[in-house]
Amino acid sequence: MSLTNFSDRIRKHFEKGKPLHCFSSLFDAVDTFLLTPKTVTTTGSHIRDAVDLKRIMITVMIALCPALLFGLWNTGYQHYLALGQTCTIWTCFSYGFLKWLPLVIVTYVSGLAVEVGFAQWRGKQVEEGFFVTGFLIPMIMPPDIPLWIVSVATIFSVVFAKEVFGGTGYNFLNPALMTRAFVFFAYPSVISGNSVWVSGSPEAITGATPLAQLMNGGEQTASFLDMFIGTILGCIGETSKIAILIGAALLLFTQVASWRIMLSVIAGGFLTGSLFYGTGLCPINGWQHLLMGGFLFGAVFMATDPVTATHTQSGKYIYGLLIGILAIVIRVINKGYPEGMMLAILLMNIFAPLIDYCVIQIKIKKRKKNILSHKTQGSSIIKNSK
Amino acid sequence: MDFRIRQGLDLRLNGAAAETVETMARPEYCHIRPSDFRWLKPHLLVAEGDSVDIGKAVFTDKNDERVQIVSPVKGTVKEIVRGEKRVIECISIALDRDTGTIVPVTFEDSDEAPALRSLLLQYGLWPCLRQRPFSVIPSPDAQPKAIFISCFDTSPLAPSMSFLLHGKEKSFAFGLQKLQQAAGSGTPIHLCVQAGKTLELSNLPQNTYIHHFSGPHPAGNVGPQIHRVAPLDKGESVWYVHPLDVARIGRFFQEKLLGFDTTFALTGPEAHSPHYYASFYGADLSGLLKDTLKKEAVQQDITNPDKHATADEDGSYTPRIISGNILTGKQIKSHPSLRFYDHQLTLIQEGGEREVLGWFLPGLRKWSFSHTFMAWLSRHKAFNFNTSQHGDHRNFVMTDIYEKVFPFDNIPPLELLKACLTHDLDKMEELGIYEVDDEDFALCEVVCPSKMPCQEIVREGLREDREEVDN
Repeated sequence: MSLTNFSDRIRKHFEKGKPLHCFSSLFDAVDTFLLTPKTVTTTGSHIRDAVDLKRIMITVMIALCPALLFGLWNTGYQHYLALGQTCTIWTCFSYGFLKWLPLVIVTYVSGLAVEVGFAQWRGKQVEEGFFVTGFLIPMIMPPDIPLWIVSVATIFSVVFAKEVFGGTGYNFLNPALMTRAFVFFAYPSVISGNSVWVSGSPEAITGATPLAQLMNGGEQTASFLDMFIGTILGCIGETSKIAILIGAALLLFTQVASWRIMLSVIAGGFLTGSLFYGTGLCPINGWQHLLMGGFLFGAVFMATDPVTATHTQSGKYIYGLLIGILAIVIRVINKGYPEGMMLAILLMNIFAPLIDYCVIQIKIKKRKKNILSHKTQGSSIIKNSK
Repeated sequence: MDFRIRQGLDLRLNGAAAETVETMARPEYCHIRPSDFRWLKPHLLVAEGDSVDIGKAVFTDKNDERVQIVSPVKGTVKEIVRGEKRVIECISIALDRDTGTIVPVTFEDSDEAPALRSLLLQYGLWPCLRQRPFSVIPSPDAQPKAIFISCFDTSPLAPSMSFLLHGKEKSFAFGLQKLQQAAGSGTPIHLCVQAGKTLELSNLPQNTYIHHFSGPHPAGNVGPQIHRVAPLDKGESVWYVHPLDVARIGRFFQEKLLGFDTTFALTGPEAHSPHYYASFYGADLSGLLKDTLKKEAVQQDITNPDKHATADEDGSYTPRIISGNILTGKQIKSHPSLRFYDHQLTLIQEGGEREVLGWFLPGLRKWSFSHTFMAWLSRHKAFNFNTSQHGDHRNFVMTDIYEKVFPFDNIPPLELLKACLTHDLDKMEELGIYEVDDEDFALCEVVCPSKMPCQEIVREGLREDREEVDN
């Protein structure tokens, strides 16, 4: 029996009035995960683009894979390096993979349980938004973070940053960043400081990230190449800039992410970093800021979340620029927060509707002015076309 | 003036109509639908068994009884089909034998607007006009600020306007003159032609302006043309007319012949030998469809029910039959005939095939605007679209995709859709609802990953706004 026939056969047990109706959203989620829906167009255009949200999400996940794969290897590499041991590529990778796997399982189980519960309560289908969020959350956490903290943070983020507003498409804060923010403020000791970045060390070997070294006025031990390739300490997914750029190239080619936001964030960060360097307030220049911490990861994968960013094209420039500026300002000016990217993006998420409102008002005025100019000058304009 | 439209998208399909015309075999029936005329509430004037003649009113608009829709044929009312809540769906007329579709008429010609309008109303030619905003039949008392004629159509597989108008140039020019007089002497006429093409017309009336447009679809829609040439403010309106209807009006006044004959293009990948047919408005298409469906192409897969989700019980297969184009057309299910304003019949494959992990596969045969499928490698080739929706309805997520295919400057499509969804009439007016129509959002609907019914949302918003304006 084909999978389609099997699905059609058991579907009737999940219909309204049947005993398994309380699991209908879960059935529908699994059914549409395994098989493309058989819906045909009934209103409006008779044809549709083949892309849907599942395709968008899987494209983002594929774009995240280079950074993830490198991050898994780097987790093992930093572990063995701290212990003074050598390791093969496979050994490092398998260590990192075994550290990451429980994180990602706990994240998906926690988040999807909430999503399915809300979908069933609302009588709607489970939406695909958590595909990417669940993939991102482990990548922005330290490798040894307790699983229960990740679970609590994920549930908090999905409920209060997304579902209470209506679910995917209605949230105004980035859910992955809200997870990180929750951990940062509720359990700061597991995500900040110098003792969390080297995985699995029983002697609690400390290791500062290059950003922390800079902000604490210590000696910079990582070279430019280390920071570009990613053999440095940091969250699982944020260290390798070249892997992030490969992902960025895929997102830009498939037109899934906005180049306006990426470019503006990088431009804002570079200009602000250069300004601080030029005025002597910061010992590193604009380029180095881009390579440190989670700046590039945030610029490519977090700031470009289409739901929480500005919706207007002009607004994206302003939104991205302000994220870049604020991230560097927080880094340089406020010693308490060596990583400003998360806070900058969350703050601009809150201001995104305001930026959109201003852009829309300008468009409204321009449109009215255009109509007025056609009324007053219209006869002279169209006479030229005779 | 020359205008270049940058936003938009040309969809390439197989099945363009060859430029040959065949006279369609005379059908037995003619079907007239009140739903062809947007928001018109019909007041039925005939009953089953009544005789009708060409030009005799079949129903009028309840909101303005002067607007009447007349029979295009001589015959007997066979059936009045009603749907839910007794809404009239279709009036089927059985044609009398050996009668033509063009008849001579006698009337006193005039150059005065009231008299001309009266003649157009009396003989059922007034519905040939539509107005923006709202794309409804204009009120007989309306004073438009301009008349727009789009002389090219960029929608997928659209018939060639120059081919349709071939031999009707004099009637077209005369029709323009009469329309201008009916609208009000001196009303500007804007002819919008495709860049690089020339209109071989003479004797155009005074105040006629020719504009050249280039760019992808929807450059051929009147919406983007009006937006650039004479944008609409609240309270203003323009008339727009299909070139064939302009020629029809010109022939009516010049030769005193009344007829609702038409030429339409049979198109689409599922059409066998697509070309043009000469027929009349409302002609029953059953015979044509029976001859033309490429049933032999699907015989091989009849035994596989998964392949064609809409296979009939006897295993035969019917593609989607659309009056109009694949973006704005309407599916024909029963009493097949073209809608009043359509000059194209499109046949495409029904979709609904379920694929295991389809969202994850490379997708060499899946068309996408976004480059997320490998089919972009063959993006310049014609594609056989089907009716699969490729996903279920979701909330707005990809928020910047509409602006790539929406060619209206300073009108944010997403914000306008949200204003329509939230029934915020003031916001809709501020954002420019009077300048757009549902057909201008067709491409937004195609490329939307959330499968948002954009056309329906805008149409509903326009309807609410019009009710508010009328009240």
